[in-house]
Amino acid sequence: MKKTAIIGISVIAIAIAVIICTYTDSSTYGSFAEAKSSQTELHVVGKLNKERVMVYDPRKDANYFSFYMTDNKGLACKVIFNGAKPQDFERSEQIVLTGKMIDDEFHASKILMKCPSKYTKDQVEITGNNPSTKS
Amino acid sequence: MNAQFLGEHLLPGKLGQFFVILSFGSALLSAISYYFATIKDKSTDNSWQAIARIAFIINILAVLGIGICLFYIIYNHLFEYHYAWSHSSKTLPVYYIISCFWEGQEGSFWLWMFWQSVLGSVLLWKAKSWENAVITTVMLSQTFLASMLIGVEIWGTRIGSSPFILLRQAMEAPIFSRPDYLSLIQDGNGLNPLLQNYWMVIHPPTLFLGFASMIIPFSFAIAGLWQKRYNEWVKPALPWALFAVMVLGAGIIMGSFWAYEALNFGGFWAWDPVENASIIPWLTLIAAVHVMLAYRNSGHAYFTATFLVLISFVLVLYASFLTRSGILGDTSVHAFTSLGMSWHLLIFLFTFLFIATLLLVSRWKGLPITKKDEETYSREFWLFIGALVLTVACIQIIATTSIPVFNTVFGTKMAPPINIIQHYNKWQAPFALVVMIISGFTQFLKYKRSNPKQFWVRMLAIAAVAIPLAAGIIYFTQVYTQLIFILLIYSAILSILANGQILIEAFKGKWKLAGSSVAHIGFALLLVGSLIAAATNKVISVNRTGIGFGDEFAKSNNPKENVILYQHEPITMDRYTVTYLGDSVVGANTFYHVKYQIIDKKTGVVKENFDLYPNAQQNAKMRQIIASPDTRHYLLHDIYTHVSSVPLKEPTEHEHHEGHSEDEQYQKPVIRLVSIGDTVHFRDGFVHVKEIKRGITVQNIPIAKGDVAISLALDVKTKGKNYRVEPIYLLKKNQVFDFGKTIDEAGLKFRFSNIYPDKNKLELMIYQKPQAAKNWIVMKAIIFPYINLFWIGGILMVIGFLISIFRRNKEVGL
Repeated sequence: MKKTAIIGISVIAIAIAVIICTYTDSSTYGSFAEAKSSQTELHVVGKLNKERVMVYDPRKDANYFSFYMTDNKGLACKVIFNGAKPQDFERSEQIVLTGKMIDDEFHASKILMKCPSKYTKDQVEITGNNPSTKS
Repeated sequence: MNAQFLGEHLLPGKLGQFFVILSFGSALLSAISYYFATIKDKSTDNSWQAIARIAFIINILAVLGIGICLFYIIYNHLFEYHYAWSHSSKTLPVYYIISCFWEGQEGSFWLWMFWQSVLGSVLLWKAKSWENAVITTVMLSQTFLASMLIGVEIWGTRIGSSPFILLRQAMEAPIFSRPDYLSLIQDGNGLNPLLQNYWMVIHPPTLFLGFASMIIPFSFAIAGLWQKRYNEWVKPALPWALFAVMVLGAGIIMGSFWAYEALNFGGFWAWDPVENASIIPWLTLIAAVHVMLAYRNSGHAYFTATFLVLISFVLVLYASFLTRSGILGDTSVHAFTSLGMSWHLLIFLFTFLFIATLLLVSRWKGLPITKKDEETYSREFWLFIGALVLTVACIQIIATTSIPVFNTVFGTKMAPPINIIQHYNKWQAPFALVVMIISGFTQFLKYKRSNPKQFWVRMLAIAAVAIPLAAGIIYFTQVYTQLIFILLIYSAILSILANGQILIEAFKGKWKLAGSSVAHIGFALLLVGSLIAAATNKVISVNRTGIGFGDEFAKSNNPKENVILYQHEPITMDRYTVTYLGDSVVGANTFYHVKYQIIDKKTGVVKENFDLYPNAQQNAKMRQIIASPDTRHYLLHDIYTHVSSVPLKEPTEHEHHEGHSEDEQYQKPVIRLVSIGDTVHFRDGFVHVKEIKRGITVQNIPIAKGDVAISLALDVKTKGKNYRVEPIYLLKKNQVFDFGKTIDEAGLKFRFSNIYPDKNKLELMIYQKPQAAKNWIVMKAIIFPYINLFWIGGILMVIGFLISIFRRNKEVGL
């Protein structure tokens, strides 16, 4: 057998192994309920609960930020993040948290937001002197 | 709706749309004509080629026309156009108007088309016998890109997205029923502040030039298969492949520098899917360049070279699918938003994949694939192995980046790894290690056959010299925390030494041979720099009020990394005394003045002193800030600082009412009845009642007989300072007046307002100004050691590619 053929086969084998291992590294998306039962780190997708209190007072602790998020199953849970409050958090449309549940509080190690930033949202803002009549 | 609208400028848009259609039509005509020119016998009939060339030139003019129209619209703030409205504003400086082009997808497609036209023109001029076949493929790609901009509906589906669409066509809103709606739209949405950075003017064009130039080696490979000129295409394609690799590499490093200078994620590489999308085709084309060389010099690895060149461009298309289709969803923060063009991008991708596969399969039997085995002690063998390692490394990046694609295709719900950076680093480090070692020792091998003994003598010598050098570097930079770090540094030093030796030989002879060694040294330095900076960067803004800072590598679990700084209150961070001195507003940006000093503890001498101005765009209405860091660069390390949180500036209202008394600016006074010798405490200090002075004079007021004018001498101690004030009490014609005394510096006012002879008490009123809200910022500071190696390595790598291009271009004989 040719040497390159052997190398070729082993490269393909390594590549497949790499792909499989890469996917075993992958995490899962879940809900707060699943986070509570599994006690492992996972991703939770949801929306900021704007009716509940959001705490970030850097004068007390610049690394404590807490808020309530409602996951996609409709369960609201307190989330604690050890860090500064992310920029324009209030305007986030969707939040992806990475972390785990500790005593009914979700401790997030990473927060990823999808924002309808003013740069992409198609919403005409009227800044004229005479606001338009909604006719 | 046939309503007439006031103030709209429809001409530039109509003209622009015409150019879009023209560019599509001419590209298609050119591609078809070049196709027939290729398959027809040229010696008898040149008419197809003539048509193709004319169509090609019309296409260039149309592409330029689109650009000019779009620029005109943005430059003149014609907000009736959706593109201008959503990507620019009147306050935008002129030099950033050019950045508006690539904030939107349409503009970036245009940029890609523009570069493809430029590159195509070079081919028209230089490609000679390759012109017909190569430009066929280029113009096919141009046709696809132009179709992305058409934006017309055919059978209910919109094809592409035109940059010339009007605002009122792009969305529905009640104001569009008014003929004068335009007068209500005062300004556009503006350019994303993160893009308002000089690197963002130059980085996207470079990146897109890199992407665009990858079509050329691809087209040469296709032409080689198509015209059965299997052996010939590699030579002219090589300088182009090097060019693509150089430009894309430069673009990636610029992007990394922009991220480091303008974004606040605290690093230069985050393995974000968008970053990966640009590095994936770069890696495969780097691998391709190496096997192309192996093939040219030994005749081995033909298939690998062809395959890698072909797959590189397909991966460019895959990368644009990933970043532009919206499929990345919530795994990436900065992908484009979806324009509903997924299927369109997929057709583009699969067309090129299909053409490449079809040609490879149909020409398989004729391909010059050697039956001989490569020698183990030969350069071509290890070029081949190196290319394979790069490819496998690339497969790993593709696999993890494609998790959202995998989910879409198979309906699974996998999430990306929890710690994505750690995940990639863990996988890529061993690949980098192997690549480094191969790029080192292969320098001592010759093509075809080398003398193993000579090889081992040189190799072992270098390996031995590298040991003390690497040990020293590892010791001084403190990267001995993980075995893989130590091995990586050693392998990089090995590579630098081996390539350095070749470089010295090259300097003795011809400098043009230096290309590969310079590029290899650059790559090794880049790796060393990124390794040291990533492994030993240290957050110095550690919050000491929290729990202790534990294992340095468990950073994600220990993020007490932000500190609050009150104005004028210095705190100690690492070796630095850091003070926040105040803010200043320039345009939309608020700059926070942070002073860093190193003060000798014994002598109090300031040994080092510098100021950083991290900034944030404040938008009180949106209640958000967008922060950008500021970095102090030293030769051996950087100090990087950004604000994480700042008090939002409320729009200040200057209300000036008439008839306000001066006392209104003070809080409600504290009233005390005192005797001489008493001490009265107030919020920020205390006052000692010393004595009463009689018979004093009051300015401008004559003291008649029977009037009483006395003052109260008070010693005030507040905020570490002493003051003496003497408020006056005046009884004139049985009327009481009093003259309070203020200490403006301390925000205090004292009144001697009454005397109670019966109680033998004096009435003292103390007015205090409300405590000024202390100004503060929350900031994060990181020291990046040896990060300059990363940038220097990047620059060297680009220089190396440039030297190689000169050399390989000369070989083509152009």
